[in-house]
Amino acid sequence: MPTDTLTSPAPDLENPFQYRRDAAHYGEKATLWLIRTGTYLVLLAAACIFLQIGIKGSETVFTTHWPFVNTAFFTEKPSTLYVFEWEGKKHELSDSEFRAFKAERHVEDIPAESYAHSAGGILPCIVGTVLLVAGSMTIALILGVASAIYLSEYARPSWRMRLIRLAIVNLAGVPSIVFGLFGAALFVVYFKWNISLLAGWFTLALMVLPVVITSSEEALKAVPQGFREASLALGATKWQTIRTNVLPYAVPGILTSSILGIARVAGETAPILFTAAYVVRDKYPWEVDRWVDFFFQPVQALPYHIYVVSSKIPQNAYTERMQYGTAFVFLAIVLLISLGSVLLRIRLRNKLKW
Amino acid sequence: MSTSQPLSQEEETAPAQPAAPASPNAVDVENLDFYYGDYHALHGVNLQIPAHKVTAFIGPSGCGKSTLLRCFNRMNDLVPESHIKHGSIKVHGTDINGPNVDPIELRKRVGMVFQKSNPFPKSIYENVVYGLRIQGRNKRAELDEIVERSLRAAALWDEVKDRLHESGVGLSGGQQQRLCIARAIAVEPEIILMDEPCSALDPIATSKVEELIFDLKKSYTIIIVTHNMQQAGRCSDLTAFFYLGRLIEIDRTEKIFTNPTQKQTEDYITGRFG
Amino acid sequence: MIAIIVLGLITFFLFREGAEFFPQNLQNLRLYRKAGLEYVGLMREQTAAHATLNRSLQDLRVRQIMAMLKAGKTQEEAQAALAEFDTYATQFDAAVGDLRSLVSDLTDEVTAIKEKAKIHDDALEQREFLLKEGKKTEADAVKTATVDFKAELAPVLATFPAYTAAVATLKQNLEVVLEKPLTLPVHEYQPRYKHFQNAVRAYLKTFPETEEKLKNWRADAPVPWWRSLTSFLFGTEWITNSFWQDWYGILPLLAGSLLVSIIALLIAVPLGVCAAVYVSELAQPAEAKFIKPYLEFISAIPSVVLGFFGIAVLGEHIRQLTQWHALSWISAFPIAERLNAFTAGALLALMAIPTIFSLSEDALNSIPRHFKEASYALGATRLQTILRVLVPASLSGIVSAVLLGFGRVIGETMVVLLCAGNRIAIPDFTEGIGTVFQPVHTMTGIVAQELGEVANGTLHYRALFMVGLFLFFLALFINWLAQTVVRKYKISIG
Repeated sequence: MPTDTLTSPAPDLENPFQYRRDAAHYGEKATLWLIRTGTYLVLLAAACIFLQIGIKGSETVFTTHWPFVNTAFFTEKPSTLYVFEWEGKKHELSDSEFRAFKAERHVEDIPAESYAHSAGGILPCIVGTVLLVAGSMTIALILGVASAIYLSEYARPSWRMRLIRLAIVNLAGVPSIVFGLFGAALFVVYFKWNISLLAGWFTLALMVLPVVITSSEEALKAVPQGFREASLALGATKWQTIRTNVLPYAVPGILTSSILGIARVAGETAPILFTAAYVVRDKYPWEVDRWVDFFFQPVQALPYHIYVVSSKIPQNAYTERMQYGTAFVFLAIVLLISLGSVLLRIRLRNKLKW
Repeated sequence: MSTSQPLSQEEETAPAQPAAPASPNAVDVENLDFYYGDYHALHGVNLQIPAHKVTAFIGPSGCGKSTLLRCFNRMNDLVPESHIKHGSIKVHGTDINGPNVDPIELRKRVGMVFQKSNPFPKSIYENVVYGLRIQGRNKRAELDEIVERSLRAAALWDEVKDRLHESGVGLSGGQQQRLCIARAIAVEPEIILMDEPCSALDPIATSKVEELIFDLKKSYTIIIVTHNMQQAGRCSDLTAFFYLGRLIEIDRTEKIFTNPTQKQTEDYITGRFG
Repeated sequence: MIAIIVLGLITFFLFREGAEFFPQNLQNLRLYRKAGLEYVGLMREQTAAHATLNRSLQDLRVRQIMAMLKAGKTQEEAQAALAEFDTYATQFDAAVGDLRSLVSDLTDEVTAIKEKAKIHDDALEQREFLLKEGKKTEADAVKTATVDFKAELAPVLATFPAYTAAVATLKQNLEVVLEKPLTLPVHEYQPRYKHFQNAVRAYLKTFPETEEKLKNWRADAPVPWWRSLTSFLFGTEWITNSFWQDWYGILPLLAGSLLVSIIALLIAVPLGVCAAVYVSELAQPAEAKFIKPYLEFISAIPSVVLGFFGIAVLGEHIRQLTQWHALSWISAFPIAERLNAFTAGALLALMAIPTIFSLSEDALNSIPRHFKEASYALGATRLQTILRVLVPASLSGIVSAVLLGFGRVIGETMVVLLCAGNRIAIPDFTEGIGTVFQPVHTMTGIVAQELGEVANGTLHYRALFMVGLFLFFLALFINWLAQTVVRKYKISIG
């Protein structure tokens, strides 16, 4: 060995630490690149979805002339599209337009092909989703914050507490369709609320309850113990302390995390399938005879509408417009909500330092 | 078959090569300026550490002694935004921050023992052979032999020989630290860096580790960072005193402890600060 | 507190709606026997088996024509070459004639009996309802007579000699057909013909057994109560709204759910763990800052949008990909169905990746820093440190992440409802890679699809609740498993 190195010294003899360019070295490089590729593959796949829906959807949602937004799409109800030829010209008209068209020309009937759900807009769906989210989040916040206060301020660790925590964790893992079934059994059938806004509210509220409880509890725990002790030392009762010195400081945290819950409520379809959603309603939710009816009416909702237009009606070039438009609006709403949640969380983390 | 063999040959042949000046020192540090981001952690450190001696780094907390130690096997590479601005570090005459230096190869020859004992959550046996396995040495007989030799060298063999396949996390603190030393010497490095190896141990365990350091000196160059002045006095040949990121003084240990040249050193040793 | 109540309520109400399933299904099964459907069912199986053989013969014919057309022959030439084959096929088809007409007659008879029994039951129910309302006279007006199953069934059972005669003819005919040597015009398919002959022989061997069963069949043999449960848990058929008999067996749905979930996990686990390793160990800080919220976004995509994407884009793209010539060596390609288990699985993988990613990343980050340092200080490379120290130390965390991802995937509804193809059948696992491209139906999908269409309180309605209940307990079980793994993990790290 020594003679070897003397007769033909390796170029880097003076460097015992040089890189070893052997198979293992390249194997490692390749594996690390594989890991990187895998990661970016996921990002790419998601980007494909965003782009596809974004590009195709914006064709429906935006227009090339003032006001650049397809106002009809946001202000009308879904209706049937009629495609027909009249005096050599091809027309595509929605239900009401078609009737007006016929009346104008004093003809009884024009042979036309009709496509369900391919004309009009999605206003009732947007309204329905907003109503569902608002109602269910209100219920979930009231119930969730109450139980979070109980859990973090009053409850003593015991087997009962452990059981409750276990239940919360397990509740979070229950599939949404099971919540739907449960809602149908309890609210729709047993309470005889039928398919209604109210049943949808409660079903969705119970579904997000674990998220709300956990995040509220964290927000409450983040309030320093000193605040409570200071208040108690001044002779305040426990409830006074919580009300004046703990809750106000926890509210930003609770709200921020609850936005995540909103995204989930807005995004789920399965629980409202048989508790709140209808394919078509020809009235807007506020057009009710008595105010009680408001709670007991079914609504249209964006996710359910996507389900309907993508699988329940015959597919053709005209429905695509509606499908992508709805999907685009829905995706945009949900992503904006979760973007808001992420940004708020970052801001909160930077702002709140006790 | 040990990894140190080719290196010693190089040291012998090195004088023939004018491009690589021979260095009797294990580590040469020249004018080192080190930053964590904007924080200037080491100021112009110049230092020679001789081979086969125990060198102790002492100084108050935050004086940069651990940072310097971690430069020797480029562990600071793992700390984001840390970098060397000026100066060089040579290990056995090779600039370890040179472009053609693989930190992996460097670390195989410059071992490290940490402040907090950190055995892997694996069996004692697997802990010791970890460094060998990652070099692709998997022969059972060879591994068995090295495990016994390393554990004996770390004075742990008699205590654990019957439970080599139990978890290393189940050992006591002192045993864990000796296991970490055994793990470091199993790959036969030339230099062992010890970052306050006894700070988390009780006096009895400490004295065992100190004895161990004394024994290891024969085969390895040891650099030890310590807070404990007595420890530096007991087991080191040379002592370097750091203060606020500067090397104040390095000399034979007796000299530092009895007759330091610098006022700051004397103040520290006599306990006036730090 | 509320959580427990809700959990209890869910269990209670699912049970409340679902529990009735068992007695009702039992009644359903008993009626199946009492009305003699089971008896005729045995014969129907026999004719059905013949029909399957017949179909394989037709399939063979189509293949031969295709092969001959490919070889440059005209349609007429190909037809002519198959003349001998066609006579053979006709003979085979005609062999079952007697039995077929007998079975068809009997089918009509027994369904009529069943119908009578049903009408009787409905009348009883109506009378009871009227009595409850206090309308006695109306109740008395509802006239109904109990169905005398024995008498009704007697003519059916009396056909046994006719049956044996029909079977004997069938046997004779088939044996004649079998003995006839047949050379196919396309020689490569000769082994297939051999295969067919063997199948027919095996079919003939089942005859005595069927006959024995028919002979020993008793309409009054009791159906034990547990049959109701086993026919649900181990039933291989889910058939509803059938004129003949409804079956509620969860196996095809369970198999579909599992197949889709396994496909999803096979894709999601490597990618999710890769991404976790990459972000926590390899990525630049800026990269990590970008990837993490991005993945959070992916998890926020509503499932119905993913399902829509699968229907509108992905399914078609996958099918086109399989038609690509360079991939034609894979036997299953090109695939027939646009919507199949793979399409759904691929989309579910995208849903599971964020879950697996974030939990695995937590597990990796929770490993104390000094493990990593110790490994690097011994001269390990990054990959070695990852594979030998980090991944083993966080393995239980990763496993529980995978389990939770599994829970999310198996409980997901909209994607499978839209993209899995919704064919209720146990996937044919003998098809190798083709298995994953079969359309399937899932437990979640069936509930979502059928619950809206059934009347409250019917057997079908209750069966759907039973599926929900099963799903509920499955989810609880997976959760429990994941928690157990995590608990173990906390102990092992000390």
